[in-house]
Amino acid sequence: MRPFRSLSARLTVQFALLFAVAMLAVSAALSSVISGAASREVQGQLQSSGAVYDRLWQQRAQELQNAAQLLAHDFGFRAAVASGDQATMQSALGNAAARLRLRSAFIVTADGKVSTIDPAVSSAEAASLWDPLDDGRLSGVSVLAGRPRQLVAAPIMAPTLIGWVVFASDLDQREMRGLERLSAIPLHAAVIAYGKGRWAEASGSMSALDKGAYDLAQAHVGRPAAFEMEVGGTRSITLAKPLPTFSGGEHAILLLAYPKAQALSDARKLQLALAAVTLLGLLLVAYATWKAAGRITQPLARLDEAAGRLASGEHVQVRVRGEDELARLAASFNEMVGKIAEREQRITQLAFNDVLTGLPNRTMFQQQLDHAFRAAEGNGGLFALHCLDLDQFKVINDTLGHPAGDALLIEAGRRVQHAARGHFVARLGGDEFVVLQVVGDDRNAIDRLAREILETMAQPLTIDGNEFAPSTSIGIAIAPQDGEDGGTLLRNADLALYRAKEAGRGTFAFFEESLNERAQQRRQLESDLRLALERGEFELFYQPLFDLEQNCICSFEALLRWRHPQRGLVGPVEFIPVAEDTGLIVPIGAWALREACARAACWPDNIRVAVNVSAVQFHRGALHETILRALADSGLEPNRLEVEITESIFLEGGETTLRLLHALRTLGVRIALDDFGTGYSSLSYLQSFPFDKLKIDRSFIQNLLTRNGATAIVRAITELAHALGIETTAEGVEETAQLMELRAHGCSSVQGFLFAEPMTAGDVDKLFREDGGTLIQNVA
Amino acid sequence: MVRRFILTAAALGLAAPLVAAPLTVRVVDSSGRPVRDAVVTLYPAGGAARSAHAAGRYVISQQNMQFHPFLTIVPVGSDVSFPNYDNTKHHVYSFSPAKKFELKLFAKDQSRTVHFDKTGVVALGCNIHDQMSAFIVVTDSAWTARTNGQGIVTFADAPNAPGRVVVWQPYLRAPGGEVQQAVAATQRSASFQVRLRPPPSSMAMTDY
Repeated sequence: MRPFRSLSARLTVQFALLFAVAMLAVSAALSSVISGAASREVQGQLQSSGAVYDRLWQQRAQELQNAAQLLAHDFGFRAAVASGDQATMQSALGNAAARLRLRSAFIVTADGKVSTIDPAVSSAEAASLWDPLDDGRLSGVSVLAGRPRQLVAAPIMAPTLIGWVVFASDLDQREMRGLERLSAIPLHAAVIAYGKGRWAEASGSMSALDKGAYDLAQAHVGRPAAFEMEVGGTRSITLAKPLPTFSGGEHAILLLAYPKAQALSDARKLQLALAAVTLLGLLLVAYATWKAAGRITQPLARLDEAAGRLASGEHVQVRVRGEDELARLAASFNEMVGKIAEREQRITQLAFNDVLTGLPNRTMFQQQLDHAFRAAEGNGGLFALHCLDLDQFKVINDTLGHPAGDALLIEAGRRVQHAARGHFVARLGGDEFVVLQVVGDDRNAIDRLAREILETMAQPLTIDGNEFAPSTSIGIAIAPQDGEDGGTLLRNADLALYRAKEAGRGTFAFFEESLNERAQQRRQLESDLRLALERGEFELFYQPLFDLEQNCICSFEALLRWRHPQRGLVGPVEFIPVAEDTGLIVPIGAWALREACARAACWPDNIRVAVNVSAVQFHRGALHETILRALADSGLEPNRLEVEITESIFLEGGETTLRLLHALRTLGVRIALDDFGTGYSSLSYLQSFPFDKLKIDRSFIQNLLTRNGATAIVRAITELAHALGIETTAEGVEETAQLMELRAHGCSSVQGFLFAEPMTAGDVDKLFREDGGTLIQNVA
Repeated sequence: MVRRFILTAAALGLAAPLVAAPLTVRVVDSSGRPVRDAVVTLYPAGGAARSAHAAGRYVISQQNMQFHPFLTIVPVGSDVSFPNYDNTKHHVYSFSPAKKFELKLFAKDQSRTVHFDKTGVVALGCNIHDQMSAFIVVTDSAWTARTNGQGIVTFADAPNAPGRVVVWQPYLRAPGGEVQQAVAATQRSASFQVRLRPPPSSMAMTDY
């Protein structure tokens, strides 16, 4: 049933076909029954007509018989016959025949003589009746003069049998009409007889029966069932009744024919009516099925249409009628639509809201920002974008764990929302929040809002029993002056935020164009830095460390320099932060390690090389592998490599850091803690890891001679290091007095301009060649 | 009466000077049953027959609407009287060529006499009562007799000469109601098989 695209068409056709088959079967059966009944009725009518004919035949025979007997009994007649008085016999016969309306009558005497009044019947023909007469036949059909006739005979007794009176009645049209009139149906009757070797036919209303018809009649004679034959060019239902014959060897048949068309006309009418009713029924069934199918498919079609609209994003509801399966389906559909809407809402929320704080997310912020731009374009108004960042959020997250960090963020979100109520607040990610402030004429409103946020945020709060006073920095960019599109405005607000952070945190800063320039410089630096390593623009300078006990150079600190093609030599202070921010420090640091190890391998065996390693390298670079390769490639003894780290490496991943440090120590690499005394300078580090060396920050050395405190600190450090078995190196020694003091405090080694500035690798080689390491001795 | 006639004939035969020998004629019907009351007549060749002599009186009475007897053999030239013992009148007639006559309506205890002077069978009927039937065989041969219960007629004194035997029976089915065959001089027996019509039911042949 593929061709049907519509369910209702398919149902209609299927059911209509089914009904049609059933109805046609019933109709055919009925039609056949009608036909059969009609045939039986015709047959019955023919049979009853046959019975009527039988009676007529007998009546006629009796009438003739009576007349014949009467004549045969007449004494005068008998006397005439006995005496062969032809004239008397003929006149008596003629008289009787006229009375009976007969054409044919004759006498057959016992000795075979014939006297007839019908010239058509020959004496010989009449004489041939002697045998049946003598056998006692007194009535029957016989063919005389080529026509079937009904013969009736009466014996003439005088007193013995002297002959027979025979009356022959024509079975002609007149006789048959009588029968036809008596019949209830308009039938045609005829008698055919077989005698003397051929068939004879009375000139009844039937005519011109052919040979086949005779045979057919002969075949069906005496059977109660009617048969069909061609009679006078008309197909007729025919009954063949045998008639008694006069002589043996003769056959006589009464044919009763009923024209078929006439006989079955009533049945035909019935059948036509049946056909009409069947057709009408079919139409009704098709119509009813179509309607019924419509009742089923209409709700389906509505559902189909609703589903289509649902697919195109419409929120549709289907009308539910009734309580059937379709109604339940519609109800389910409605429920499904509702749930889909709910889920869409949830998805939208997830898409546009931050899960943690419930605030709008970056996506929604972008939309809001675009919207604000469009609105501002329309009314020429201003709006300010506040970019917030929690100071030291990272530290809190790392030290107290993510749950605490999340709690802080949630609280921060709440506070920002409260402080900036009436304005759009979003969390962009991490500890970044933004506030979109629509500004009227009063530009001071921007400052006021920033301050209120800062104050609100600075309220102390307790997380996991730890009390904080979270500080926040805010960068503000004002549209449209600080940016004509969302991207620019956000970037500029970010730049302002950096500036606020630089300005000491816990404050806010407005974007200025200069910030943008700085940012551009920084971006330039970044891209130059990426190329620098490929172009080989980095080089290492080496600053000697002088051992105060042995009075000789014991080590060099490798210092990274960038020989920029346009800007010349760029100091590490300028590019190292950028390298760390971008992660470029990892390949640069690796290069530095390989280069330093390779150089140091050429130096005298007692000279070590110290290389600075950034926290970023510690946490992100595969530092252990890098050092292993640098040592392996150069063939430098591990104990001649000293890795200088700062406390900052402990700010992230304490355990991992310690494991890495221990691993390096296991290799034999020495670990020095740089810039000791600044930053957190937690003594716990010293306890947790056995550093080989502490490098005392240059700020203490510079103040060594001028501030008592500094002297005390340096002394405390050296004494502490000494107690822990850790070497000390004083950085930035520029004056002899400082050296004297440091020597007095027991500092292990010194480094600074007093002895030597950082020098190129070539200079170091030259130093070893020319002075054999005596330079420093002289100075000391 | 017939018996008497035969006895008479036999007596005459014994007296004959011709050498005589018996001839037995047997008549059976189509199914081989003996036919009785068939009249058998022997006609010797060359007309050497002994003529039967009319002798005595022959009576055929009408009683109980029947002729009695049914069959009578009389020599040619005999007179037969027809007395009526019934209370009704009778109208006796014959259309037979041997003797046509009509005794119109004669009442009880009246009698008529008819002279039969030609040989042949005379069929008697009553014009009033169809069922009444009787036959008179008028013969000129001394060897005329009727078959007995075995269908047999024996002529003890049949002449030793060739001749013909004629058999007649009222219901014999043949033209003229008779059949015949030639017999040789030495032939001592002859047999006939005849076809019979059923007799009219009203006619009893038991009483003669």
